[in-house]
Amino acid sequence: MSDWAGSRRGEAHSRRNKTGSCVPSRWSNGRKRTVDGTLRVGRHGDGTDPESSGYSDHRHSDSRHSIFTTPESSGPVSRCRSQTDWATQVEDDEMRMGAHRDMQRYRRRILGSEFSQRERKTSSGSSESCDSKEGENIETDEAVLLRRQKQINYGKNTLAYDRYIKEVPKHMRQPGVHPKTPNKFRKYSRRSWDQQIKLWKVKLHAWDPPVDEGQDKVLDNIDDLALDDVMDIELDFPTLSESPTTPGLSLQDEDCAGTPSKVQRMENTVDPDLA
Amino acid sequence: MENSNDDYRMQVFDMETQMLLKTALKDPSSVNLEKVSDIIVDQSLKDQVFSKEAGRICYTIVQAEAKQNNGNVFRRNLLNRLQQEFKDREETRERSLQEWVCYITFICNIFDYLKVNNMPMVALVHPVYDCLMRLAQPDALMNEEEVDCLVVQLHRIGEQLEKVNNQRMDELFFLLRDGFLLQEGLTSMARLLLLEILEFRAGGWLLSSTAHKYYYSEIAD
Repeated sequence: MSDWAGSRRGEAHSRRNKTGSCVPSRWSNGRKRTVDGTLRVGRHGDGTDPESSGYSDHRHSDSRHSIFTTPESSGPVSRCRSQTDWATQVEDDEMRMGAHRDMQRYRRRILGSEFSQRERKTSSGSSESCDSKEGENIETDEAVLLRRQKQINYGKNTLAYDRYIKEVPKHMRQPGVHPKTPNKFRKYSRRSWDQQIKLWKVKLHAWDPPVDEGQDKVLDNIDDLALDDVMDIELDFPTLSESPTTPGLSLQDEDCAGTPSKVQRMENTVDPDLA
Repeated sequence: MENSNDDYRMQVFDMETQMLLKTALKDPSSVNLEKVSDIIVDQSLKDQVFSKEAGRICYTIVQAEAKQNNGNVFRRNLLNRLQQEFKDREETRERSLQEWVCYITFICNIFDYLKVNNMPMVALVHPVYDCLMRLAQPDALMNEEEVDCLVVQLHRIGEQLEKVNNQRMDELFFLLRDGFLLQEGLTSMARLLLLEILEFRAGGWLLSSTAHKYYYSEIAD
């Protein structure tokens, strides 16, 4: 016991000396120390050290090379926060966590609804192919989800949207008539998704505040979509299938190769037109 | 109770500013939130009582803004200011010990109150640790003011901080033990504070009742 204390203290003394003599790296010096004495030295070089990844600015401020020769450091890989400011980091975290939470919530629902489809399908006798599909219909790529959420946020962050949700209560909304926020958790092709967003926004413009000239510009921009807008209304009926009540449409998983069911109805018709 | 507290904190401002803050709490989108966050940061940096309580005001405004229009202008500004001050912290410390201590009190209070989905803001974890590590350096331990600030912060957010990153907490406590054991010239008050916080963490961020008696009863004096 006293042995242990003695050696500890000696160690601490030498440490302090080191610290005193070498001012700039004072903090990292303290950090090198671990119980086994080695671990942290490795950590130091690998860029996960908070001080080298930009939390503390002093390392960057005095050494140009840390700016110009970052590449081999794995810091940016572990988290890309070093480049951004705190506020942005927090917002990103918030979104990411939100996406995860949504995903958990949503997964239950989508699996539930697909389960009921499967049952129905089973009764019609062609079940096996379905078994593995349910997970694959959900978009789980975080980057994609975040990108989509951002697009949705843009749409929702409009006066038109505020007016819309105020004027049309949820239970009054009819598929095909009212805009319906695209489902970011469905697997869609990029093109299909972007198109859905576009159409959704066009529909939202119907709720633009009456005499707002500024918004018209956006509409002009989208003039060429007028045609699609019409089509959207017809095409949107299949949207019903997104509610668990109409299982039929997504049944055939022949399209499960990554461009699954529901949107297909949009893509099939809309995309060729656009192309 | 909460209201009277809010009122109390507002007293330090002139009437106009009080109105502005009160409006910000109720109807954030109707005021200039950048200005509001500046006012709160500025006041926190010079008023330690305020800096201890500012987190709650900030929390309320952040909630109100998010609820009202899903916005985060206030938080963004607040964090930007905090980050700016963080960059200049060494100069701040040189210039004014009081402002430095206020800054740390404030950032820790924000860390304590503002959460993202009920989790601490990860972006603040390392900065907060950096500040506390700075307070645990030999030169800072010589100032009772800084030691006091350090242990107060650890009492309040130590447990949360450790949960998010226990490695850095270990490092911080290496420094604290060293300081307690080895540093010459520490006042007995500083040692007492250090010893208490060492016991506090060792007891799982709780003080045993006997320890509490030792540190806080009149008789011990």
